[in-house]
Amino acid sequence: MYFVAEVHEKDCQKYNCKQCVLFCPEPNCLNYKESAHTAWVWYDRCKGCEICVYVCSDLLKRDCIEMVMVKAGD
Amino acid sequence: MGLEYVKISPGFEKYMPRDYVDLVTFGQFGKEVDVMQLGQFKELVEEHPMCAGCYMAYFIRVFYAALPKPEDTIVLGTAGCARLALSQAAVPFIYGNYGDTNAVASGLKRALSIRFPDKDKDVVVMAGDGGLMDIGFGMTMHSWFRGEKFTTIMVDNEVYGNTGGQESGMSPKGVQLKMAPTGKKFDKINAVELAQVSGCVYVAKISPTNPKKIAKVVRRAILAARKFGPTFIHAYTSCNIEYSIPTREVLQDARQREKQDFKFYEWMTDEVKEYLEEIERKEKERKKQEVRS
Repeated sequence: MYFVAEVHEKDCQKYNCKQCVLFCPEPNCLNYKESAHTAWVWYDRCKGCEICVYVCSDLLKRDCIEMVMVKAGD
Repeated sequence: MGLEYVKISPGFEKYMPRDYVDLVTFGQFGKEVDVMQLGQFKELVEEHPMCAGCYMAYFIRVFYAALPKPEDTIVLGTAGCARLALSQAAVPFIYGNYGDTNAVASGLKRALSIRFPDKDKDVVVMAGDGGLMDIGFGMTMHSWFRGEKFTTIMVDNEVYGNTGGQESGMSPKGVQLKMAPTGKKFDKINAVELAQVSGCVYVAKISPTNPKKIAKVVRRAILAARKFGPTFIHAYTSCNIEYSIPTREVLQDARQREKQDFKFYEWMTDEVKEYLEEIERKEKERKKQEVRS
């Protein structure tokens, strides 16, 4: 089990902001889907640092990213 | 090195690892990407073993996205945290002995300019505060005195993070660290002023809170180094482990330090300013024309 970020795509779609993607320290971990206007997380690459949560919830007050527990294979 | 070198020979695509195929197809080679497009193309850096929430890793990620010509660039590093991510990128990386990065880079840049006289080959040194301002101090300063044409980037985490938290010349005065329990007794070295008086033509000090600004500074430093002489960037990249910053507050810390002692500062000589303004003006015109057409 490990801790990763998860984007609520339905909430994220409303904003089209991309700020979390620009502040993630891991390459190609938080990505942006142009067609759906939403950010998405590549779970295998996420180290669970919560910088994206700080950007989304504390700075922008949008609360679209949540930390969740995943198991290997999820 | 060179665009031909990174591309896959026809017929071999199916034998190459998926990540490499993505890198050539959706990556940065042969084109300049806008740093604001991060997350929409395959980045040059791969997964790396740096700590969760490391801000140095973030700076390195943006640095690679900002390279003007990644296929013609060589990066040099030394012992320290930065090399853990630098060695995982699709750009040639040279790992020197501790502190000799700027001496190696001097020789390398000279050799490249003899071997490829008609091409711009960029050499970038990226090392920590220990590698450049403590142990490699002599070689860093002398490369600047000689006017060697390459970029030096100091990723300053204010501590020897790899070896348990010893104080470095760049640690702030009075700070208590795990291996320096009595607190540091001297001031932080003023690296930016040293660079200015030692012959650098472009000097910047930055706290990475704005990716666009980081990209602009990195690009300017590399372009100025091609023509005029040594350039230097001093970036604050906190160590969340040794300074006990919760990972969620790493960006907040960078913003706070930006207001205190890491205020954005940029200095360049008049001829560099003229040269860069000319390049940036042409780029703007080109972009405007692209939008129109």
